[in-house]
Amino acid sequence: MNKLRLLPLVALSCLIAAQAHAGWQDTINNLMKPDSKEGKILSGATQVLSSSQEMTYQTECTVGESLALDSMQRFGKPVQNEALQKYVNLVGNAVARNSRRSTIPYRFVVLDSPVQNAFAAPGGIVFISRGLLDVLDNEAELAGVLAHEVGHVAEKHALKSIRRAQFLQGASAITAATMKGSKGQQFESMVGDMQSTLFDKGLDQGMEYEADQAALETTFRTGYDPAAFVSVLQKLKKQEATAAKSGSWFSTHPPLDERIARLSARLDKYPSAGSAKLPARFAKYVKPARSGKSVK
Amino acid sequence: MKKRVLGGALLLLTLCAGQALGAEKRWVVSEGTTLKKEQSVSAANLADLPVGAELTLVEGEGRWLKVQTADGKEGWVYAGRVSDTQPVAEVAGGDGLLGDSMQKSQINTAKADSARSVRGLSPETAAYAKQHGTPEALKKELDKILARKVSNNEVKAFLKEGKIGEYAQ
Repeated sequence: MNKLRLLPLVALSCLIAAQAHAGWQDTINNLMKPDSKEGKILSGATQVLSSSQEMTYQTECTVGESLALDSMQRFGKPVQNEALQKYVNLVGNAVARNSRRSTIPYRFVVLDSPVQNAFAAPGGIVFISRGLLDVLDNEAELAGVLAHEVGHVAEKHALKSIRRAQFLQGASAITAATMKGSKGQQFESMVGDMQSTLFDKGLDQGMEYEADQAALETTFRTGYDPAAFVSVLQKLKKQEATAAKSGSWFSTHPPLDERIARLSARLDKYPSAGSAKLPARFAKYVKPARSGKSVK
Repeated sequence: MKKRVLGGALLLLTLCAGQALGAEKRWVVSEGTTLKKEQSVSAANLADLPVGAELTLVEGEGRWLKVQTADGKEGWVYAGRVSDTQPVAEVAGGDGLLGDSMQKSQINTAKADSARSVRGLSPETAAYAKQHGTPEALKKELDKILARKVSNNEVKAFLKEGKIGEYAQ
């Protein structure tokens, strides 16, 4: 008897749950439509939130481009080899399109510097030095290094590291006119802080481990061998004793042993089977650049 | 006492009903993702899937997943192009919660990008360079960097040539 009484209650509760779900779904669907009442309310709220909480993409690009100018002043100009620069852009964009922030345009640049380094400017300009490129043996290794840097851009690590960047949030974005006044001075000093973080002090170690993890994930999802990034760190470890430290990956990143150990522990989640390494295509573009020739 | 038992049973059943309705979700995270009729990159395209699109997992654990789109289309996507967490949305579009905002933000970032490659350095960066005494040669180098664009089709052709990811045999 009790069971029989329970049956309609079961049916009713299922119906209530389904109804509640349907109503919720309708509201969510309406939120997605910009012309609906719900959509307009949410759009307004979103604009208020975004203007008060975060920097606009345009301002992020200004920060990144300014930092890019200063980086070239410190580390040297790009390598004058268009085929190499295009190739590195293709590898970088292949992984960036599978990153956590795939909708912004990225640029990848090989700088003519012997210091073994790679770094990312906010907004998506990623640099790798000739010195670090010389350590690599295949395309998957290059993809790993670039994916690590894309990870920093995706998570906005450089911006998060600079407290002073907060003055550039939302509506108070920098303009060409305000660059001349006190705001311009603040901006210049903020870019200076960012340089010192990226090239001397290094980002927070947690951010580096996060970017390492992103490198594994992104290369794996693109189809490159994820273990290749670990092999880059192992090669750097072998050269650590004799390499130039100032402004390099050695001085600005966590200890290589720790990075290798953390990544190796995760590799079983990212099987290499069927993934690409492509040493021949890498050699086709990079070897001539090492000997000063250009591939047409 | 009976009422309490009944109340507990009702709560449990309501929760179970809610759970049953919440199928496993995936989000498109890669640019240029398409829904395929079969588990192959050469299969017919059923739909273009924008970054941020929510999908319901139907089956699959390997390289290709069978999914259903919000408007009920069923097909296959390459596993590398989706994630079990939502991708990062741009601030121009909102807070990362809305697909529509994500699309707006893509338009905004595309506009910002084409504007800077047409004009060269943005006025703000040019003002910074002037203020900072940056050599003219470096400004030209940055111009060249920004002008070096890579299209989705170029990336696809590059992956195909290297037999990478969904193009692997």
